[in-house]
Amino acid sequence: MLTTLAQSSFSTWLLSSNSIWAYPTVLTLHTFGMMVLVGAALMIDLRLLGFARAIPLQSMERLFRIIWAAFALNAVTGTMLFIADADKRGPELFFWMKLTFVAIGLVTSVRIRRADFQGGAEPVVVSGADKRLAVISLLAWSAAITTGRLLAYVG
Amino acid sequence: MPTLANQADLAHLHLLLNHFPTIGTILGLGLLLLSFIRRNDHLKKVSFEVLFLIALATLPVYVSGNAAAEALKGQAGISQDAINAHNDAALGSFILMEITGFFAWLSLWRMRRVGRLTTGLTYTVLILAVLTVAAVSEAALFGGDIRHPEIAGGQYAGFGPSGASFISAAAIKDYVLQHPYVWPTCETLHFLGMSLMFGVLMIVNLRLVGWLRGMSFASVHRLLPFGLMGFGINFITGMFFFIAASEQYTQNVAFHWKVVLLMLAGVNYLVLTVYDEAWALPASAEAPMSGKLLGASALVLSIGVMYFGRMLPFIGNAF
Repeated sequence: MLTTLAQSSFSTWLLSSNSIWAYPTVLTLHTFGMMVLVGAALMIDLRLLGFARAIPLQSMERLFRIIWAAFALNAVTGTMLFIADADKRGPELFFWMKLTFVAIGLVTSVRIRRADFQGGAEPVVVSGADKRLAVISLLAWSAAITTGRLLAYVG
Repeated sequence: MPTLANQADLAHLHLLLNHFPTIGTILGLGLLLLSFIRRNDHLKKVSFEVLFLIALATLPVYVSGNAAAEALKGQAGISQDAINAHNDAALGSFILMEITGFFAWLSLWRMRRVGRLTTGLTYTVLILAVLTVAAVSEAALFGGDIRHPEIAGGQYAGFGPSGASFISAAAIKDYVLQHPYVWPTCETLHFLGMSLMFGVLMIVNLRLVGWLRGMSFASVHRLLPFGLMGFGINFITGMFFFIAASEQYTQNVAFHWKVVLLMLAGVNYLVLTVYDEAWALPASAEAPMSGKLLGASALVLSIGVMYFGRMLPFIGNAF
């Protein structure tokens, strides 16, 4: 199954086309999505942890739209990159670790949004439990980047 | 993609630019000293801005120096020891220059927040600027010895292979190349630093452009040091890449574009830090057109830096 994917005409095009619009563009879009998603999540985490407290918490709510949009972009580009290398990535431990960290990061983002971004009067008091969520988010996204980056060097 | 500059162009560029760090730091230091005599805070601010801009301009000086060294390689009458001594002195002074530029920036950022210059930071910049002038003068002196028979009398001053510098580019190169974990670790940190930096740029500039509302500019201004922290991580890890494999970058058109856009983004960041019109911007108000343009250009420039960084292996010839 993985081999079939990796040998599909799509994979051949993505990997061996000399066009800048094939592999380089998909990879760059994936990097762009990562930078936008993690950048937005980190800013929310830092604010929850007490940095830049002058920023009203609710005004950061719009950043979640950026997070979801960037995730959609990376789900698509990530799937394309996986298909192209399916036989190599499928058995890779780092790959599944990365997906796990991404899942933890996403679930944490959803929980942070539910806990602290439901409107209400400023200044919002951030509870200890919500600060813990911010720490989990910081660690999960950092771990996702680390395992993702290391995929280029293992296997 | 057409090249921006070939090796000879870069060697020329090095000869043109290499005077900026020496003269610029002396100018910045001079303005700072004058501001003490005249008790003029505005002059102090200008001197910090000059020091930040010179720290920024030193990056292409260092980078083009490596291209100049490659152009000189193997030529008669050129001492590799003299080149190495200059390179090490240049690297040491470059690092000092970046630290000076960082503290100059931090003073400007603090000044914006608390409304006056803080004495501790001002004296830190003063001391660092003095050290930088000394270090960069030494680097310039060693540089002149590479090929100026009129001052060296046809004889090289006879520096050892590692010169007198506290840092050795060759040792850093060996360290990176001999330890297989260094490159992937730096790559990982480079991506984390990029995300941190872009997170800050996104909030500050989307606020200016108008997509994010409900936050005053003064409140998002507090995030700027995190952006510079991200840049610091990427500057250090980026220098590891460059020193370990400079020949991959000096002739790489994607790298040239990356440096050009980075310079512009740096100027943009300085303007963001000291920008008066935006500073007064309350939470609900729309930024003036100049602010919107500033924000939009910062976003385009930083995405451009990421693009050319990611494209190094594809447009250019790195890796």
